[in-house]
Amino acid sequence: MNHPPICRAWELWKNPIFLRYCRSRLRPTAVSVACLLTVMIAGFMFQMIRTISENRVDLSESDVERTPLIPLLILQSVILFVLGTAQASGGMTAERDEGVIDYQRLLPMTPAAKVLGYLFGLPIREYVMFAFTLPFVIWGIWFGNVPSHTWLSLYGVMASTTILYHLTGLLTGTIVKNRRWAFLTSIGLIFALYTVIPQAAKFGLVFFKYLTITPTFEESVRYLTPSNIGDTWETGRRLLSQAKFFNLDFSEAVFTYFSQSCLIITFFVMLCRRWKDADAHLLGKIWAVGFYAWVQILLLGNALPLIDSGKLFPTQQFSRFSYMMRGKSWEPSSWETIAMILVYGLLSLLFLWVLSGIITPNFGTQINGWRRANKFGRKRLPRLADESNSTGFVLLMGIIGGAGWFTFTHMLIESRWFPGHFALPSLAGFFILAMITCALLHQMLLEAKGGRAVFLSIIFLLVLPLMVASILMGASDRLAPLAVWIGGISPLSLPALCAANHLTITELPLNISRAIPGAYIFWQAVYLITVISLTKTLWRTRKSTKELV
Amino acid sequence: MSSSHEIPAIDIRDLRVDYEHFTAVHDLTLKVPAGEVFGLVGPNGAGKTSTFKVLASLMQPTYGEVILSGVDVLEDKEAARRVIGYMPDLAPVPRDLKCGEFLRFYARAHGLGNAKQCAERADECLEEVALTDHKNHWCHKLSRGQTQRLVLAKTMLHSPKVLILDEPASGLDPLARRELRSTLRKLASQGATIFISSHILTELAEMCTSICVMSRGKLLASGTVDQVRQQLGDDSRSITVVPLHVLTTVPDWIQQFNGVADARIDSGSISLDFLGDDEAQANLLEEMLRRGLRVRSFTEKRSSYEEILIGVAERSRLS
Repeated sequence: MNHPPICRAWELWKNPIFLRYCRSRLRPTAVSVACLLTVMIAGFMFQMIRTISENRVDLSESDVERTPLIPLLILQSVILFVLGTAQASGGMTAERDEGVIDYQRLLPMTPAAKVLGYLFGLPIREYVMFAFTLPFVIWGIWFGNVPSHTWLSLYGVMASTTILYHLTGLLTGTIVKNRRWAFLTSIGLIFALYTVIPQAAKFGLVFFKYLTITPTFEESVRYLTPSNIGDTWETGRRLLSQAKFFNLDFSEAVFTYFSQSCLIITFFVMLCRRWKDADAHLLGKIWAVGFYAWVQILLLGNALPLIDSGKLFPTQQFSRFSYMMRGKSWEPSSWETIAMILVYGLLSLLFLWVLSGIITPNFGTQINGWRRANKFGRKRLPRLADESNSTGFVLLMGIIGGAGWFTFTHMLIESRWFPGHFALPSLAGFFILAMITCALLHQMLLEAKGGRAVFLSIIFLLVLPLMVASILMGASDRLAPLAVWIGGISPLSLPALCAANHLTITELPLNISRAIPGAYIFWQAVYLITVISLTKTLWRTRKSTKELV
Repeated sequence: MSSSHEIPAIDIRDLRVDYEHFTAVHDLTLKVPAGEVFGLVGPNGAGKTSTFKVLASLMQPTYGEVILSGVDVLEDKEAARRVIGYMPDLAPVPRDLKCGEFLRFYARAHGLGNAKQCAERADECLEEVALTDHKNHWCHKLSRGQTQRLVLAKTMLHSPKVLILDEPASGLDPLARRELRSTLRKLASQGATIFISSHILTELAEMCTSICVMSRGKLLASGTVDQVRQQLGDDSRSITVVPLHVLTTVPDWIQQFNGVADARIDSGSISLDFLGDDEAQANLLEEMLRRGLRVRSFTEKRSSYEEILIGVAERSRLS
């Protein structure tokens, strides 16, 4: 039965979900109050800043017109990024909480059309509020002689960042079941993803910076401020990082699109999968592995070109001027290098755990898969289906993560900054081993015991030992070796122990560096044995499950 | 080429739904001809809602096939959703729309024409459920019964071939229930097939042309109400005969009459457990009159639908 679609995904003006929200969120009373407030705030900022610049500061006519642009940009960001994202997440949660989401599932529309309807429909009032700030901005851009490439790239990135944030809001609103938790999680996730995690850029993971509007904004500041401030800013900015991807040079805006696009597409795929089937995994297995590999490539592609210039190192950015004042040339310290290696390893591992959590089927899904297979006389589950176990894919991600981590470490240690130190290719095996041990430990625990066991393990095995170790470390130097051993209980410290054990640039106190090899070998062995034993148990369980159904 | 009447409107084959260790629906096979008002009866946990959710394409079963009006629900959800109208239990409504807007949105989403045509169809459906006066009222401010009727109107909007109604009568007052019955009959007469669940079994019996009984995920019986009664082995009836003159013992010929399982004197009346059919029952009365027993009253009592269902639930629990 071939019916013409109600609306194609891109036909937003025909999209019933989009039109429904235009109706409900653009009621004259509510929207006029919102717009009035926006115009009042924007108008006040615009006029007040212009008046002060005009009368109290000696600026040219075009510079005066530029002065309100940055405050207006902040107001626009608050409207789109904060209010809009809250609306996307809260609106989606409300749909599910009220129970009307099932009605929308039943609409004969494609999942993509539904996602786009919500994406642009839920925050429609915020888009209108944003539109009401535009006349002031256009005035500033026009009379401030802001070059078109600047405002085009800035607003282009603002649009892609808005879509990324709103998709994040929709996703959390879709997956978190409890209404209160959904709101808190979405706020927390967005805060973490776009404010906390980008700080990892300061530790060498430059890619995360491009999930925000900041790099493009920094690139545009020169033309958004009075020319004297802009020139000073630009001089300072040129000393800092710029968008590089391996040997390719990009403008900040282009690289932001490039970085955000993979996340936007992935979030979109996640939402479409959930609209297609409410119980489906957020990502397929192949997509998860591909996404993980792609993020590793982005991380390395951004970080490696900045090593030789030293722009990758946090201290170069923080204390370059103090070194210059003292007449010394800057050099990276070994502790920051180790910290950067650890941050890379830990973030790669945490990201791997998130993806492993997404693609690992629970017991119910697997048992249903076997029932289905038995019914149709199949001897095995389809390899890529949600119900199929994810061990192989997690192993692959572990290898990719370990390889990425080692590449980062190798390039850093063997750079011109650390003559005489090596991270030989033979060490790659240890890095990969540490990564896959931690990855499989999580995956197998999740598959065998479920999410609750993983949650309890995170508290008692992951966090608690690190807390105890930190207290012991702070209490006395004498207790430091004990702290290393206790900290080793946490699988999170395995990458740290691995790096500290194998790298020669570590400058740790003697008692700690003596404890590290033993602790590393012991805990690596313990976790490896645990993984092997869990593999055997799971293999038996899978076999008995197959026979049971 | 077969006519649409030869294709069952609802064709469920080997449907199984599992929740980890619990099987909600166990290899259910069922066919419902087009134009029927078909009732699904069962105690809590029987698997009614899981079955309905699979039928409505809202849930993926463990395995099985569900074909609604010739469309495979699990293979082509989008096409299936054009022929399905689903009304969930405790029918929810959005807080930010008025009744008219709510219906117009779904009319548009089902592609029922331009804005004017959608508005006309929405008005028609509001009239069907007697909510025309509430067109500009907020959905969430309606009473429970009115909400049920509004959602029923939404379900009918695109004239679905198969209506799946989960407890549609709950919360309705007697008048609204009567209106619901007549609306459903009208829809059925127009060719729609209605699959309906309810705990109010007498009402379901009045509404439905046939019913099926489920318990613990298994189909126990299906057919007309009387057929189901027979299939469930609860075809006994008790007969109370009040003679004009008080009797102290039951005459032997009554005790030996074909179909009488047990007979006793109870406060001057004769109480009979009768297993015979309607014909045998008529013969019994005729025999009483022929033998000169002067009968003041002859009353038949069959077990109620509630009693049947309670029996089913009890048996199911014990097994």
